[in-house]
Amino acid sequence: MKQFAKLAIATAVGVVMGTAAIADGLYAPNLAYRTGPFAATGIPLMNGQRDYIAMLNARDGGVGGIAIDFDECETGYSTAKGVECYEKTRGSAIVTQPWSTGITLQVLPKTNVDQIPILAPGYGFSPMADGRTFQWAFNAPSGYWDAADMIVQYLEGQGDLSGKEIAFLHLDHPYGKEPIPVFEAMAEAKGFDFNPIPVGLTEMQNQSAQWLQIRRTRPDYVVMWGWGAMNAGAITEAVKTRFPMENFVGVWWSGHDADLALVGDAGKGYKSISFSFPDMDAPVMADIRKHVVDTGLSLSNETEMQGVFYARGIVISMILVEGIKTAQDHFGTAEIDATQLRWGLENLNVTEERLAELGMSGMVPPFSTSCSNHTGHSGGWMLEWDGAAFAKVSDHLMPNVDGYAALAAEKAAEYAEANAPWPINEACEG
Amino acid sequence: MLYRTAGQYKTSYEADQALFPVRQDAILLMVVLALAYVIFPLTASEFTFQTLLIPILIYSLAAMGLNILTGYAGQLSLGTAAFMGVGAYACYKMITLMPWMNPVIAILLSGVFSAGVGVAFGIPSLRIKGFYLAIATLAAQFFLIWLFEKWAWLYNYNASGAIQVPNLDILGVYVTGPLASSVTQYYVVLVIVTLLTLLCINLTRGTLGRTWKATRDMDIAAELIGINLMKSKLTAFAVSSYIVGVAGALFVFQWRGAAEPNLFEIGLSFEVLFIAIIGGLGSILGNYLGAILIVGLPVVLNIVGEIELHDVSLAVWVIIALVLGGLFAAAVSLRSKGTMIGVAVVTLLLVGYAFAQSRGFELHSAMIEHLNIMIVGSLIVFFLIIEPHGLARLWALIREKLIIWPFPH
Repeated sequence: MKQFAKLAIATAVGVVMGTAAIADGLYAPNLAYRTGPFAATGIPLMNGQRDYIAMLNARDGGVGGIAIDFDECETGYSTAKGVECYEKTRGSAIVTQPWSTGITLQVLPKTNVDQIPILAPGYGFSPMADGRTFQWAFNAPSGYWDAADMIVQYLEGQGDLSGKEIAFLHLDHPYGKEPIPVFEAMAEAKGFDFNPIPVGLTEMQNQSAQWLQIRRTRPDYVVMWGWGAMNAGAITEAVKTRFPMENFVGVWWSGHDADLALVGDAGKGYKSISFSFPDMDAPVMADIRKHVVDTGLSLSNETEMQGVFYARGIVISMILVEGIKTAQDHFGTAEIDATQLRWGLENLNVTEERLAELGMSGMVPPFSTSCSNHTGHSGGWMLEWDGAAFAKVSDHLMPNVDGYAALAAEKAAEYAEANAPWPINEACEG
Repeated sequence: MLYRTAGQYKTSYEADQALFPVRQDAILLMVVLALAYVIFPLTASEFTFQTLLIPILIYSLAAMGLNILTGYAGQLSLGTAAFMGVGAYACYKMITLMPWMNPVIAILLSGVFSAGVGVAFGIPSLRIKGFYLAIATLAAQFFLIWLFEKWAWLYNYNASGAIQVPNLDILGVYVTGPLASSVTQYYVVLVIVTLLTLLCINLTRGTLGRTWKATRDMDIAAELIGINLMKSKLTAFAVSSYIVGVAGALFVFQWRGAAEPNLFEIGLSFEVLFIAIIGGLGSILGNYLGAILIVGLPVVLNIVGEIELHDVSLAVWVIIALVLGGLFAAAVSLRSKGTMIGVAVVTLLLVGYAFAQSRGFELHSAMIEHLNIMIVGSLIVFFLIIEPHGLARLWALIREKLIIWPFPH
């Protein structure tokens, strides 16, 4: 029993000395994945998110005078762990950031009951844009269907698509299957051949069969919806089979600097659509450097901070913080709750001026959300790998949302019906 | 003292062959049942239901199904996850095709489909055994996952390829889907698991169980004394797959709420197999102990890792100290070296961690996850070294020692 007495003393001393940092403020957990097969792509994003909030806490003391208690719960990208984290954090959390389409699908039906907003920037279920049906889910500033549309627009800009073939290399998982209906509809309308090639979760790192097929059919373009180890696998395989890189386009989660750094110059010309862009000279980066990196609070490193994913992490935290700020201004209180944050995320208006104020001009297109539009559909840029870094090679592309509005409405209605009774927010207009 | 069996006379064959011939066993079981049926539902938080109680019960059931096949009938199987998938998809199809169906009945019926599939994949067991059979069941694992992915009818042509559990009610109370409360889901799982456990205990004690054990121990000898091997093996596959299928339906309908095909990947098969092996092959109790270790422990460790130990009140520390001290004293008097070492290591880790925390040390969530994997892994090795026959055998040894305590041999 002696050691317990000692322990008790140590405890008392610890408390008196005030080393116990009892975090308070707005509890905004992040269901992070720094372990498992997807960790390589997860870590830079998580670091970006974490550093932006740490910077605000250090520079401004949080948002609206209250600190943000940003906490990570490790999921390893596993759905079971994700649900565990969701259950653990939802008691006091004002937001859920699920970070995987699988976890999003699991927690989405519960949000109406638990009343916690889901923030899934650039991922999750595309019909979540329909705010009337998905009152608690937000995937601003862009969804997967927007990405699919912008990629096709860009490819059309390279020449007429009719009669051409687009191979769609995707992870055989809800995430990878997500844009297929939109691609199929566009293939019919524009007369190109659409050929989906699935990559199973177990064959992510060995895609020789898929690339053999690509070499045989010689598609004009390969569009990739990959994640984690699949991206590096596909890019090295493309280099090996000498597929022309300029005809290889990925979604925003397939544009990770480290994957392309593996092949370096051989990857020149590879493209990825993106709703965010890294700008090392942006004022926000200087602030992060000053308040987070120099004080040793950051888990990141120089190479990682120059990458697309780190900057995207910053953008994602910015969306959350802007939601908190909007809610604080509207409700006149710093300590907002989950319901109030929902209102905030629904009434985001991040204009060009606001981005300049935040020191993030050019890092994300300006966007706004509304009661019926939870995505914003603000478009993005086509980025190209120049052998050392990604560079913008297009103007600001805007998705043609009307093209799949009917499909989104149909899928949202289907979802509501399958999960009946499902409340619809009839108060929204338009 | 606690477990004295002296004076408990059996005066009839019924009494001698009762499920629990020793009175203390029956009392212990009553305590466990009272905990499960009354105390837990009254006290558990939403988090405890969703991450500990419900999953532990469901994994135990799946392991029990596998244990019938592997532990009792001696047929090694690596296709458990796929059979769970068959149960889950069968349940989903039944409920979407016939929305008027009672969800509990649908869950119980879904086992019938997996039993059918299980028997079909069990046919090779008539010719091959051991590792060769494991490979044959592995084929089931890969084939069925492929089928779940490619046969769009199974998931109602959903674009994402995942199945979503609808809200279903019995007499106005939601039993499945996001609207169902955790307590309701827990009770549904608990009742089904209790009933199937009772069924399994009795089956393994009866004629069928004896033929299975004879087949396991030496099939040629079994055949010589007149056991029909085909019947014995195929019934084992049928009963096992039925239970595994029901576990799969519960897994998706009462716990996960949604599922994609890769949920039933081989990793899940191995997890269930580990539960059965660590719990103890050829035992019913072992499945529960194994599930607590493999499913429950990581969750508990995660919570412990994140607690600010110096914020814990003194009363809790006293309780922890008493429990650890009591366990250590018991281990000393039972001369169980393994338990002694175990308790000492746990105490050291706890004290060390608390001390480090009081010095301002903080564990990052990802680091906790890494440590968690290491601790659970080493515990598995530890338990297998001190008792290769599993946790159930460990408990049996402790029980035997308790019966003669305080006079060891």
